[in-house]
Amino acid sequence: MFGRQWVTLLLVLIAALLWWRLPPGEQQLSRTALVMGTLVEIKAFGDDEEQLDSAISKAFAEMTRLEALLSSHQPKSEISRLSNSADEFVASPETIELISLGRKIAERSNGAFDMTLGALKKLWAIESENPQVPSEEQIAVALQGVGPEALQLDGNRVRKKLPGLQVDLGGIAKGYAVDRALALLRAAGITSASVNAGGDIALLGDHDGRPWRIGIQHPRKSGELLAALELSDRAVVSSGDYERFFEQDGIRYHHIFDPRSGQPARLCQSVTVVAADAASADALATAAFVLGPEEGLQLLEQLPDVEGLIIANNGKEWQTSGLPQSQ
Amino acid sequence: MKVFGWRRRLTPFDRKLTAILAICVFISFLLPLRQGIGARVLVERDGKVIYTADLDHDQQVELQGPLGVTVLQIEDHAARVISSPCPQKICIGLGKAKHSGDLLACVPNRLVIRIEGDEEKERGYDLLSR
Repeated sequence: MFGRQWVTLLLVLIAALLWWRLPPGEQQLSRTALVMGTLVEIKAFGDDEEQLDSAISKAFAEMTRLEALLSSHQPKSEISRLSNSADEFVASPETIELISLGRKIAERSNGAFDMTLGALKKLWAIESENPQVPSEEQIAVALQGVGPEALQLDGNRVRKKLPGLQVDLGGIAKGYAVDRALALLRAAGITSASVNAGGDIALLGDHDGRPWRIGIQHPRKSGELLAALELSDRAVVSSGDYERFFEQDGIRYHHIFDPRSGQPARLCQSVTVVAADAASADALATAAFVLGPEEGLQLLEQLPDVEGLIIANNGKEWQTSGLPQSQ
Repeated sequence: MKVFGWRRRLTPFDRKLTAILAICVFISFLLPLRQGIGARVLVERDGKVIYTADLDHDQQVELQGPLGVTVLQIEDHAARVISSPCPQKICIGLGKAKHSGDLLACVPNRLVIRIEGDEEKERGYDLLSR
């Protein structure tokens, strides 16, 4: 009996020791934080947990820094100061880079993407406790001077077409921050990672030897997927009418505005864009949502290295020819 | 020879037991999800875990945040926010979280809700774009 007990005990001890002492090999570290008004999740793969943790901390810190710079909700941010400035404004390299990219997409989309809708968004106050449906007169005033040419760049200086123009980078800043966070992970030597800011996703490398599988939320069926995409080294962003909205007299008023009418854009339920960077994908998703399925798809098809999936307001799916779906 | 005396006392049953244990240890290394325990829901506020529960036990939980009380319902192996003091109620619209890795958040009330464990239930994707 002593022999049997001894052998069993020994084996169990060896098994337990091997179990816990086995080097973990490549591991995934995942952390979340509430930044830029949304839940941000950063995942990174690597052998060195300390390196992963340090890189993720720096990535979150960068996103927090960019929020303080680019948010129109923070009164002391550079964007708020630009909005309040009547004269030429000297801006940081990040703001200049972002406005430059936004201007290109604004022009390419014939103004469907617009960074000067700050006054209109404040008027609707969709993200506040007291959203409202403004009058046509109020909307007309809020739209004065907006458009692709409303912001002019000259080196590190920004000029507004009208002194009262309110700048809002809500359709591009989150994607830009995601890109910057991913760049910091890459600079730290990490080769496989993801940054997901409330659905604005940027991917570095693959997911432990296979492409990342990105689920796309169905715009009308909570908890159901519209599609799953297999992607590596790409960014994917979705814009929809289904998360930030209020209802009045049975009508849903959401947060993506058509600069032509000042009303919530009505031609789509959701748009998902795959691009090389999240800032471009973010702005293009907004532009395609405003343009609607036909013009939106044309815009996405014209651009190299960009794919998209559009759900029209009648539920019909439109997608670019090269969309890499896994199902 | 005294060192190996125990081997002489091994019965056929002992040898079978030894073989089974060795096989179990070997198989355990092949299983990538060896810590696959029952799923749990974790709630964090400001980076600290303030509540954990088994996802198998149906219940309603009141979670205190800076804006007030967010009510989390755990039912049918899923967690969802059913009441929140935040202005836009996006957290309610996020629906259910039931698979390991699923996340819910109420940003204004500073609450993050995540599902951990039970990794055998694949959700079919790594990240969700919404």
